[in-house]
Amino acid sequence: MTADAASASAPVPPPVLRRATMADLDAIMSLETSTFVTDAWSPAMMRSELRSEHSYYLVAERAGSGEPGVVGYAGLRAVNGSTDADIQTIAVAPAVRRAGLGRSLMLALIDEAERRDAREVFLEVRADNPGAQRLYASLGFEQLAVRPHYYQPDDVDALVMRLTLPMQDALRSAHTNSRAEPLVLGIETSCDETGIGIVRGTRLLANVIASSMDEHARYGGVVPEVAARAHLEALEPTITEAVARAGIRLEELDAIAVTCGPGLAGALMVGVGAAKALAVALDKPLYGVNHLVGHVGADLLDADGGQGREIELPTIALLVSGGHTSLLHVRSLTDDVELLGETIDDAAGEAFDKVARVLGLPYPGGPQIDRVAATGDPNAIRFPRGLTLPKDMAKHRYDFSFSGLKTAVARWVEKREDAGEPVPVADVAASFREAVVDVLLRKAIAACVDREVPRLLLGGGVVANARVRQLAKERTDAAGIALRIPALSLCTDNGAMIAALAAQRIAAGHAPSGLDFGADSTLPVTDIQV
Amino acid sequence: MVVEKPWCLRADYAGGMLLAIDTSAGTSVAVVDLEGGVLSELTTVDTMRHAEVIGGMVRDALAQASVTPARLSGVVAGMGPGPFTGLRVGIAAAKAFALGAGKPLVPIVSHDAVALERYSAGHTGPLLVVTDARRRELYWSAYGGVDVLGIPLRSGGPGLAKPAEVPHADLPRYDAASVSAGQLGLLAEWLYAHRRPFAEDRPLYLRSPDVTPSTGPKRVTA
Repeated sequence: MTADAASASAPVPPPVLRRATMADLDAIMSLETSTFVTDAWSPAMMRSELRSEHSYYLVAERAGSGEPGVVGYAGLRAVNGSTDADIQTIAVAPAVRRAGLGRSLMLALIDEAERRDAREVFLEVRADNPGAQRLYASLGFEQLAVRPHYYQPDDVDALVMRLTLPMQDALRSAHTNSRAEPLVLGIETSCDETGIGIVRGTRLLANVIASSMDEHARYGGVVPEVAARAHLEALEPTITEAVARAGIRLEELDAIAVTCGPGLAGALMVGVGAAKALAVALDKPLYGVNHLVGHVGADLLDADGGQGREIELPTIALLVSGGHTSLLHVRSLTDDVELLGETIDDAAGEAFDKVARVLGLPYPGGPQIDRVAATGDPNAIRFPRGLTLPKDMAKHRYDFSFSGLKTAVARWVEKREDAGEPVPVADVAASFREAVVDVLLRKAIAACVDREVPRLLLGGGVVANARVRQLAKERTDAAGIALRIPALSLCTDNGAMIAALAAQRIAAGHAPSGLDFGADSTLPVTDIQV
Repeated sequence: MVVEKPWCLRADYAGGMLLAIDTSAGTSVAVVDLEGGVLSELTTVDTMRHAEVIGGMVRDALAQASVTPARLSGVVAGMGPGPFTGLRVGIAAAKAFALGAGKPLVPIVSHDAVALERYSAGHTGPLLVVTDARRRELYWSAYGGVDVLGIPLRSGGPGLAKPAEVPHADLPRYDAASVSAGQLGLLAEWLYAHRRPFAEDRPLYLRSPDVTPSTGPKRVTA
């Protein structure tokens, strides 16, 4: 028997395992003859195996879209009343190897052997197939003997291996969880928050954030060098705290994830350097993932540590923060994200900061504007809505611009001040906020309608703004669009969303990023993982 | 001078193998041992790719020395002085590796490794070590010589100065384009073996962030 584990990985939806029937004979034989070129079983042998009451055969079927069909099978022989069971055969199609399917099949057969009260499971493996031997050894199989010249006509020895049942719980849980629900630590340092998150699949175990926001306050905005220095200081204590809160040991992790872009280059590099060294020290795979797609992944998690849930797809995602204003069309979180539009100048959060300064309010501007706008009239002043005129909509249908709006507010305020008149701060704040939020949602709803996607997901720190959430609710309700807003602690930059995205990539069968990638301050959203 | 246990001696301490990382100039990674010397060392003078190369270099330095993280006694970080973006990559990597491997961090001044290398190569007496600080400035450290053990004695710096204003102009000067992690690690071994203190766990940027506090909004109308 064979389970070649040495071919390149391909992204696939996880195949589904089910009991084989006689109807699968042709599909199984086609895989059998292509896998075991020189020593395949005959159809007659396979038929009698499938028919036998002492047999238990499973096939793995490719799920979801793409070419359907059997991509793997495996068989167990366990005679009723006997304490021995044998793994008869296992094969995985080349296109789906290295994604853990062989392991899943083996675990299912071992489970069945246990159900049939077997005490020992035996198998034979080709001496020239170290990949398969490693897999079996990792499941607890030990080498018993060598059968010389067992495989003919290739004249290759067989190694006889044995697993004693019951299988160790630790081994079993490590194998069952590591693929579908991997334990991942995520590192996020793209702006001014050092975020360390730990997830198991979609379950949030820890979300610890150290912010350098206070240090930026006296400069009126995020200073990249100040942020990067703060990351280096916060890194180790933040990781330590996250690990303690999650109640895990670093050695238990299945993978490390890190934001490799987009963001501030110097800040990103702190996380990337640390993540690589941590991965080498722990001998764990490393996943470099996209910050913006991470914001979408935040919706997988339950902030209170519950099981989390799948994101309903496709969805339009509106991501708004101090560094980004982006509109995405997400068809698959792990494999298909399209950038519809983004800001062509300032990010929305940046506009809040700048207008707050014009109005003499402290940094960060978002909460301050929100506070004073509460008593203002949003219709008092008609500020411009950037890129919404018909000529702009032709070229920049889903793009944003807030620079002109900021200047318009400053001009309006200066005119009042020059005339010696008092500035109605509450009305200016409310009217400005309305202009920003109006444009954000007008374009987001347009994207939902144009793309016939009845779902809108919000993300990013500006979602903390009460008016954004309120107007989003009103307009999506009116348009019959389902609205999703993750918990605020998961909307702002955090490491948990990075870990969650990487966990999805792992579950979808993607290979790690290796160690040679860099920080990419302008990483496009189509690069979900580097 | 006697310093009590500058880092915690572990039960598995076996000759004190150290991983050393320096990104104050290019990138250099080494595995050293007090008795065995430099077991492996990888260095690149590229000052633009610290984040890209650091992971592979740590992996390869360990592999070339046939050493697993568990066998190390500590992780040495070159604390600079150095241009900040690159310097931080190495310190972040050293800290994260130390955390992951459960080993102590050993901070060392990067210039001291350059001095050790010069003295080991035969230099005697005073020495001025100079490295590039970018923006037409230089980092410098002055040394009076070595002590009886051969450990360089820093008498001034590290400091930052414009090229014409670097002090100790009368000393024999060495302009280093790279810092050897092997020398950095060896220095840490010697300091430890002789109970000398390490550097502070603080990056030596020697420069404030390039920013001035806000003076309020600028007018947009004339």
